[in-house]
Amino acid sequence: MVETGHFALVLAFVLSLVQTLVPLIGARTGNQRLMAVGGPVTVTGFALTALSFAALAGAYASSDFSVASVWENSHSLQPLIYKITGTWGNHEGSMLLWVLILTFFGALVAAFGSNLPATLRANVLAVQGAIGATFFLFILATSNPFTRLNPAPIEGRDLNPILQDLGLAIHPPFLYLGYVGFSICFSFSVAALIEGRIDASWARWVRPWTLVAWMFLTGGIAMGSYWAYYELGWGGFWFWDPVENASFMPWLAGTALLHSAIVMEKRSALKIWTLLLAILTFSLSLLGTFLVRSGVLTSVHAFATDPTRGVFILCILTLFIGGSLALFALRAPRLTAGGLFHPISREGALVLNNLFLTTATATVLVGTLYPLAVEALSGGKISVGAPFFNLTFGPLMLPLLVVVPFGPLLAWKRGDVFAVAQRLMAAFAAALLAMLVTGLFIDGASVFAALGVGLAFWLVCGALTDLAVKSGFGNVAPSIMLRRFAGLPRSVFGTALAHLGLGLTVLGIVGTLCFGTEKILSMHAGESVELSGHTLRFEGLYPAQGPNYSEDRGRFSLIGADGGIAAEITSAKRFFPVRQMTTTESGIETLGFSQLYLSLGDEGTDGSVVVRLWWKPLVTLIWGGAFVMMAGAAMSLLDRRLRVGAPSRRRKPAATMPSAGVP
Amino acid sequence: MLFWVIAAILTLGASLAVLLPLAGGGKGASTSSDHDLEVYRDQLAELERDAARGLIQPAEAEEARAEIARRILRLGSAGQADASGTRQPSTMVRLVATAAVLAVPLLSWGVYSQLGSPDFPSQPLAERLAKNPADSSVDELVARAEAHLAANPSDGRGWDVLAPIYLRLQRYSDAVTAYRNAIRFGGDTAAREAGLGEAIANVAGGIVTADAQSAFEQALKLDPANPKASFYLAMALAQEGRLPEATAAWQKMLTLLPPDSPWHGAVEQALAEAGNRSVAAGKPTKGPDAAAVDAASSMSPQDRQAMIDTMVAGLDQKLRENPRDTEGWMRLIRSYAVLGKAKEARDALHRGIAVFGADSEEAKKFTAFAASLGLTATE
Amino acid sequence: MTRKQKRLSVIVGGLAFLGAATGLTFYALGQKASYFYMPADLTTASLQPGQRIRLGGLIEKGTIVRGQGTTVAFSVTDTHKSVKVTYTGILPDLFREEQGVITEGTFGSDGTFVADSVLAKHDERYMPKEVADGLKAKGVWQESTN
Repeated sequence: MVETGHFALVLAFVLSLVQTLVPLIGARTGNQRLMAVGGPVTVTGFALTALSFAALAGAYASSDFSVASVWENSHSLQPLIYKITGTWGNHEGSMLLWVLILTFFGALVAAFGSNLPATLRANVLAVQGAIGATFFLFILATSNPFTRLNPAPIEGRDLNPILQDLGLAIHPPFLYLGYVGFSICFSFSVAALIEGRIDASWARWVRPWTLVAWMFLTGGIAMGSYWAYYELGWGGFWFWDPVENASFMPWLAGTALLHSAIVMEKRSALKIWTLLLAILTFSLSLLGTFLVRSGVLTSVHAFATDPTRGVFILCILTLFIGGSLALFALRAPRLTAGGLFHPISREGALVLNNLFLTTATATVLVGTLYPLAVEALSGGKISVGAPFFNLTFGPLMLPLLVVVPFGPLLAWKRGDVFAVAQRLMAAFAAALLAMLVTGLFIDGASVFAALGVGLAFWLVCGALTDLAVKSGFGNVAPSIMLRRFAGLPRSVFGTALAHLGLGLTVLGIVGTLCFGTEKILSMHAGESVELSGHTLRFEGLYPAQGPNYSEDRGRFSLIGADGGIAAEITSAKRFFPVRQMTTTESGIETLGFSQLYLSLGDEGTDGSVVVRLWWKPLVTLIWGGAFVMMAGAAMSLLDRRLRVGAPSRRRKPAATMPSAGVP
Repeated sequence: MLFWVIAAILTLGASLAVLLPLAGGGKGASTSSDHDLEVYRDQLAELERDAARGLIQPAEAEEARAEIARRILRLGSAGQADASGTRQPSTMVRLVATAAVLAVPLLSWGVYSQLGSPDFPSQPLAERLAKNPADSSVDELVARAEAHLAANPSDGRGWDVLAPIYLRLQRYSDAVTAYRNAIRFGGDTAAREAGLGEAIANVAGGIVTADAQSAFEQALKLDPANPKASFYLAMALAQEGRLPEATAAWQKMLTLLPPDSPWHGAVEQALAEAGNRSVAAGKPTKGPDAAAVDAASSMSPQDRQAMIDTMVAGLDQKLRENPRDTEGWMRLIRSYAVLGKAKEARDALHRGIAVFGADSEEAKKFTAFAASLGLTATE
Repeated sequence: MTRKQKRLSVIVGGLAFLGAATGLTFYALGQKASYFYMPADLTTASLQPGQRIRLGGLIEKGTIVRGQGTTVAFSVTDTHKSVKVTYTGILPDLFREEQGVITEGTFGSDGTFVADSVLAKHDERYMPKEVADGLKAKGVWQESTN
């Protein structure tokens, strides 16, 4: 079975070469048969990659230590779920997952792309095949997951204990679905550049792919952030760690792409910019893969420290980013520019959004790469941390968040900002009220905290206003309003939900940063501590044995208002003997949207234990907001507008000339 | 065999994916402008829906309608130009098609023959463990015991059985874990504590560390006559350089041991070694009389020399990794001096001094110690 | 305003925005980037009082002192020099004697380094990269073949 997977991988590599060359030549020469090869080859390539991945997962699940990567990253005593997730918890397996998702997206284009012009479809599949071919080659040449060991060891070396966690186990697939999803947008852009024309269906096709990729990336980042929050035991939700930035940059650029693609689809404007943005977004995804996989940055995620891998990925990076940008420089002048618009209009607001988002992406990029550049140029070692990002990213985001509610309410082409402001009066009043209540009635609230809460309410109420205005609130009878509300296009709901989710995330961040409290103290069993009105009693340390670790559990009781025990919270120190590593399991109790968070420190000589406690108000909204954003993206995807039919044979162009609206 | 059948089927499938579309008739696909038109029609329909629902103002809708219509008109004029029709397949196209069809089997089998190991079957662990115990290797039997303990981690007896096996297999850190678990779930006994101490000492490369020492002391507390614990505690004394005390302890052991105890041999050997070491320390410049050392031990001369060399080399290696160990350096200098390797001893002295700095307390201590062995910093 | 003037003002506005963002970025890099030092580098480096730095090295054996409650003092060494560090809070799981560590904070008036964050190595197989490079440069550490 293992060797079948290995053979399938090789076969998939060869098919990806065919997928690159044959449709490309077909599109150049206008040969239908050659172009038609693209579809079946792509689908077969995906099936073979899936077979290969299944074989590897099978080897992991059955602890087949004759496979080198299984031996290095698995242990027979691990629970089955971590054996399986261990498949991608290492360099080789995660690269295989990467190409699996790449071929999956390619296969989706092949399967559902019948309504695309044939040459565009062929070129898209060819570019997708080229990306696949380089990564297959990378895997086979430098990181083959099917390398065998003979004789097979009887026991493996265990998965890094930090990675033995469900949150971490499922977030890489989501992140990859996001990262790699943008490859479709990239392929569409490069295909348009190769052809030298942008079809009208281009934007309609690129937008759903952007939505899908963006949705998964949002989920992946949110899960990664929650994992870091509870697993690392530091109570922080975002560290501006280079690896986090590597996933955040494509997200920011992807968000910009999402918005500029709307303009392109509706107004045929910003064509060239959207094309460039699609290329940049996937380039940032590739850069993220390079940064994480090359060992240039050190972190939990950096599995690979083999320099040949780094050089190989750098070559891939140069080929695709350099190549696509060169093609862009060559061909972009041939593309026709689109419609015109007034600066104050829906388009104008979306351009403003793009300006802020791309600039913010650039600052994150600078902050992430600056230490590498300094080290390469002068050998000095510096680190750029949260203070830098707070100073640059913050000021860029604040004005953007303030104008968000205006965007969806402005009209296309030429908008009336005063009319929109009038419609937003209620939202503004709500935000002002929230600000005043926060500032006056909550102890210890700073001006910043009050402004932050106000901003969050402004976003949430702004999103609701959008829905209310579009369903004619106040202008029509309630029954008609309800009917109109139900009949609103899904994309309108999508926009409102995404913006509402953004507001919730902001509220969570402000709540946690401005009203959170923490205590560090050493406690003996039986002692109690109070934190922000919650009383916790430390019951003591108890040893326990897990499947592949032993642990000391610290039990805490949350004392309710009546003096009884309202909840039990457990935090543990786990020791994994195979890797000789200790991890901390934090104890979390969710109360409403807020959380009590505690983690164990070292044991003192007198039997006391250092305990760190946090009260994190509204912290769950940070990730809850992200899920609302995902729901928004899913809602937009359901919009019928994104389903464009293929031209049917019967309708001849002359017959379809619309009589209406010709000036 | 099965593998080759599957591989052949997969290759055939992949080749067909290339071949079938090439063989099929070109469908004479629609031109790009057909597709563009379809999109514009859809946009118009959507506009009408929005206008009917009152989402956009009538004036705006009119303007948008005009704009879409302009796009359609532009499309009509451009559409005439690219209606060139499909050409006949040229020789070049045929060449590409043939190359693609041939590439799939040839390239894939070529690359796989370089990378794969087709005759090497999968070896799922469960299958390996399910074999007849008589055919299993010791490793596999241990793995089976481990699987049992994974399912019942609190089986103290199981850990008790496994721990000495680990020790014999030289899986020392596993032995430490197993003894700790045996103590935790099966209770504290002298044998387990002594075993734990032995395992810890072996993890440390034979050196009785503080952890090992406390385990042995615990064992003696439970059973004052435990020979293993007494033996290793005396060893600890010897390793600290307190040879007379160690000798006294071992001699006391000899009197207390029952006559049939297997420990007699080990203790006598240790005593002989200790004796030689103190003799050697007395007349260091000449080095020990190798023949005398060997005569006192039951080992063959080569084995013994090899064992000593390995131990010293191990200590040397440990100090390279962990240089800030005063005791260790003194032990290394003495070992080399005792073995008659004056050059290595001097080198060790220099390295030790370099670690702590020439004018540190430790450096002075080293120099004085070396001098007591008859060794000077320079030749 | 004519169409041309409008377009010009949009472009000027955009450029001014980008200029401001670039300026902010470089100002922030100058102010907020913290430099990485090994103890032996500190004698040659000129630090402004209160400047945030990252100090990396090995935790010197036998120097970990757990003080009142949750304050810990230890020394960070590169085997040539060592620097006393104090830290209040929970130490990472991998914080052990003679292991690589990176601390971030400022020097107090008495010459001890007051850290507000302590990072230990993530994995048995690797040291914090900066520490490993620094130790290799000083010739005191060799990568173990694993």
